[in-house]
Amino acid sequence: MKTLGRILIILAVMAIVMGVTYAAVNSGGSASAAPQFEAGRRPPFREGQFDGDRHEGREGGGGWMFGLIKNVGVIAVVVTLIVLPKSVARKRRRTVAAS
Amino acid sequence: MSELQSSSKNLTRIKLTVDLVIFFAFLIAMDPRSSGIAVHEWLATAALAALIVHLLLSWDWIVQISRRFLGRVNLQTRINYILNWLLFIDGSVMMLSGFMISEAVFPTLGIELPRNFAWRELHDMTANLFLLLLGLHTALHWGWVVDTFKRYIFKPLGRLVSFRRRKDVTA
Repeated sequence: MKTLGRILIILAVMAIVMGVTYAAVNSGGSASAAPQFEAGRRPPFREGQFDGDRHEGREGGGGWMFGLIKNVGVIAVVVTLIVLPKSVARKRRRTVAAS
Repeated sequence: MSELQSSSKNLTRIKLTVDLVIFFAFLIAMDPRSSGIAVHEWLATAALAALIVHLLLSWDWIVQISRRFLGRVNLQTRINYILNWLLFIDGSVMMLSGFMISEAVFPTLGIELPRNFAWRELHDMTANLFLLLLGLHTALHWGWVVDTFKRYIFKPLGRLVSFRRRKDVTA
């Protein structure tokens, strides 16, 4: 029962965030200015303009490796940029404390 | 080993498994060109359940810091808490914008939504931000990641290898 309540809280907060976003996008200028179309009656778009990167098989065999490596690389760079200076600072503090 | 220690060990193991599943699912879902749009959408929808489990496993921490946030909390915990909220908000917006431009999940369920460029742009933007925030989230929990990997993956693997070597020598 406790877990169910917690799940409902998480879903409720998520629904609030989604509701606010939906209202903001639909009432904001971005949605009204953007061209709208019915599903299934979509006009053809230029490559990359709307869904250029959403369809499979565009890049051939090496594409998936590149995407995966790129994403892992971004995460690795961010982790390194934060963890490395922190670890150096900790080591320095330890050395100072020891001396 | 006490019951409390054993349950804490199990919880850490479950957390590690759930986090690894979310991480790899996210990596696959983040690249719809390779996985295909259907896998991208269904995996992201399923990740919602995994995300709820992840939050439930950290529920005590969330409640504790929410209560103490304006009081005495160290800087790293405060940054971590804010970052987690940003991750949650960004993830929710990313999911909503993904649903709004859905080509596999919603049409399969018989739901047709009028779509526009704004949702597509929002989806791209939030996905890129999510990648960055995930990196920061991983960096802030790096100590835990390293400790847990050592304890539950590398040490048991090392023990297994040394056991096999001993077995080979005696044979």
